[in-house]
Amino acid sequence: MVEFKLPDVGEGMHEGEIVKVLVRTGESVQQDQPLLEVQTDKVNAELSAPVTGIIRDIFIAEGEIVEVGTTLLVIDAGTEVEVKTETKHPEKVVNPDKTVHFTPARADHRRSLATPYVRQLAREMKLDIELVTGTGAAGRVTEEDLRQFANRLQKSAPAKFPTSATGNERLLEASTAAIETEPIVQSKTGTATRAATSSQGGIERLPLKGIRKKIAEHMVKSVTIIPHVTSVDELEMDQLRALRETLRPHAEKRNIKLTFLPFFIKALVIALKEFPTLNASIDERTNEILLKRFYHIGIATDTPEGLIVPVIKDADHKSIFQLAEEIDQLARLAREGKLTMEHITGGTFTISNVGPIGGLQATPIINHPEVAIISLHKMEKRWVVREDEGVIRWMMNLSLSFDHRLIDGVTAVRFTNRIKELLEDPNLLFAEMV
Amino acid sequence: MVVGEVAVETDVVVIGGGPGGYAAAIRLGQLGKSVVLIEKEVLGGVCLNRGCIPSKALIHTAGEYHKLNRLNKLGIQLPTGKATFHMPSWQTWKSSVVAQLNKGIDYLCQANGVTVVKGTATFLSSDRIGVETGGDFETYKCKQAIIATGSRPFIPSFLKTDGEYILDSTDMLALDDVPETLAIIGGGYIGMELGMAFAKLGSQVTIIEASERILPQTAAHLSQEVLKQAKQLGMTVKIATKVEKAEVANGRVTLVCTSEKNGSESITAHKTLVTIGRVPNTGELGLAQAGVEMDERGYIPVTSTGSTNKAHIYAIGDVTPGPALAHRAAKQGIVAAEVIAGLPSSVDSPFVPYVIFTEPQIAGVGMTRDEAELQGYKVKAATFPYRANGRALAIDEGEGFAEVIVDQESHLLLGMHIVGADASNLIGEGVLALELAARVEDVALTMHPHPTLSEVWLEAAEAVLGHAIHIVNKSK
Repeated sequence: MVEFKLPDVGEGMHEGEIVKVLVRTGESVQQDQPLLEVQTDKVNAELSAPVTGIIRDIFIAEGEIVEVGTTLLVIDAGTEVEVKTETKHPEKVVNPDKTVHFTPARADHRRSLATPYVRQLAREMKLDIELVTGTGAAGRVTEEDLRQFANRLQKSAPAKFPTSATGNERLLEASTAAIETEPIVQSKTGTATRAATSSQGGIERLPLKGIRKKIAEHMVKSVTIIPHVTSVDELEMDQLRALRETLRPHAEKRNIKLTFLPFFIKALVIALKEFPTLNASIDERTNEILLKRFYHIGIATDTPEGLIVPVIKDADHKSIFQLAEEIDQLARLAREGKLTMEHITGGTFTISNVGPIGGLQATPIINHPEVAIISLHKMEKRWVVREDEGVIRWMMNLSLSFDHRLIDGVTAVRFTNRIKELLEDPNLLFAEMV
Repeated sequence: MVVGEVAVETDVVVIGGGPGGYAAAIRLGQLGKSVVLIEKEVLGGVCLNRGCIPSKALIHTAGEYHKLNRLNKLGIQLPTGKATFHMPSWQTWKSSVVAQLNKGIDYLCQANGVTVVKGTATFLSSDRIGVETGGDFETYKCKQAIIATGSRPFIPSFLKTDGEYILDSTDMLALDDVPETLAIIGGGYIGMELGMAFAKLGSQVTIIEASERILPQTAAHLSQEVLKQAKQLGMTVKIATKVEKAEVANGRVTLVCTSEKNGSESITAHKTLVTIGRVPNTGELGLAQAGVEMDERGYIPVTSTGSTNKAHIYAIGDVTPGPALAHRAAKQGIVAAEVIAGLPSSVDSPFVPYVIFTEPQIAGVGMTRDEAELQGYKVKAATFPYRANGRALAIDEGEGFAEVIVDQESHLLLGMHIVGADASNLIGEGVLALELAARVEDVALTMHPHPTLSEVWLEAAEAVLGHAIHIVNKSK
């Protein structure tokens, strides 16, 4: 028997959500055949069978969040068992003295420790006791352990709670209380488990899990640790637009979709080289500033699962066209949920490009442990004054949030000024290229 | 089946009224299901009618009779003349015990709304069961069914039982006389239990066992105590010996046996008991019509809820792979009933106790030392002898010992085994301790009543920890 445990498919991940179970108990599987899909810290991973055999037990269900190291399923790696339908009465002797083990050996000596009452309670609560960590003596699973495990599961499981259309809190509380008294299974232990759903509904409660949960945790961490300051500036985009139009046919010949983003990245990298504290991080444990001499630019990407930040590695070594090509590839992988840990880690600075959607300005939250983030906004024609005359120009706002522990306001503004200079006169980009 | 037959509809049909089947039916009744229990003979099955109860009645009787010889030592002077045993009277008494229990089960079935049908059941399809009821044929249509048809002794063709000279255990318990000489083929628990009982009642008993030792299913040091007693009872025990042939002539059975040690030899006895195995009663049930799968040995594989490959058909007890024990069947039956009624029940414990009513009794639960080591445990174990227990000596039962097996690292109890007087009752403490995931300290720190045999557990547990009071502890 081979116990298949949730491996650490990410970098030091602790848990993952079982998105799909692709096999069933009793099914024969080949080595490397996909068994499960697991969603971890921003990555969907397919886990394959380590051996050829038969699935004997599956301990997890789709939607469940499990910790690394948890046994997900058991594969019998022995010979395949054929269950034959009865054809005739078998008269083979079975000598109990030889075959009957009065003391059936505990095939699974890692069976969790618990009293029969607690085991029954686990069944009533529809919990797999083997997944519960025991806090009792010698690791026994106690009644309290079960309840806490159930609470954790309930927090991560979808549950619809009824309320009136007005959705006021009082009604919500009242209806929630009503649900909590509604038993869903008959009980042998006298401890009814509670219903998680109800037929009436107005507010839908969704689990905070998977990528969204990770984003939430990460955002909280960022704003908790980093004192954010945001400065906003506006850029005139006419020259850059003209340049892009000139280059576009050349890009199309090479099947490259040329957006503004590669130009922004190029300008950003030049500015970062001149303002090294913006391409840095702070090691809170050692109180050290880490200035990074490499430029891995994260591009915040909208996906059906939420915001994901694939990283363009060594952006300073890539041409505008190469950047355009890579942006396109990464965006596609992100939307298809095919990014790997390799794609999303190691960034030194992040660009959030909400321009295509709209909005004038924002206070983007820094992607910890980075120390700054730029948000690009809607490009639009505005009245502006040039040489004492009102003229129409293509304008775009840019928001820069920076870590005020490391970066002063003056530095931040100088940094955006430099970006502004490079983008408003894109010839300068070529002048700075290495 | 006749055209236009009318099937009686019911929630559940239970086939077989043994300890698993009737427990399931009663529990289903308690849970509000309509139940038909089909039994082809009498309620109670092998256990009540031909197994546990009659054999224990005989073993008890033999024990009481045998004790008479030892009363002198205790200062009890019997009237002159030898005590005698009258087997027909015992049969009457045994029948009254069995009848009383039968009546009890019948009453409980009625009280719980179980319809008992006497007849032989066959699956016609996965939800229709035909029952031959002595001339009539009835059909039942059910939502769920429980197969609880049990097992029967295996008798190889060359040892065909005739009910007079070559007997199975059922025949043996129906005898009206104690045979002068008795050969028993099979030194397992049935052979040893009945062999010792008949030896106490006066038979010259020869045990013929093919393995290297008697009671091969128990740990060797436990069965050794029984072997000692067997010899004291004057029994002949032949191990590693196979029976090749049986011949009945002149009111005797002659068995031709071979062994490496003795070559070929003949053993002649008035009666021969064959106890070499059991086979599941699955052949005549029409399982193919129901689509229920069996393994190559005729057992029906089931899940922990008792469900077969057909989710609505359950199987329990001796027809399922595992030890043929009434308490296992009853547990499976209750679980299957509860699952059918929607309760989240499961047979999920590896702790199936065993009890052997030999002289002395053997009982145990959990792993033996060897099994634990095989499972990768570092084992700590200790025994405490009956002869160091006050109560054991006071009742003249100084033979045997209790053994406690513990995981060296966590001190969790892995197994508790006992050989000695009343082991069958004493193992209850072991079953509970293991089910509650107790550590050896839990037993050692529990005050046990004095003077009782139960103190052997206390002291064996203390001995594991190196501080038993009534024996010299081995150096740690």
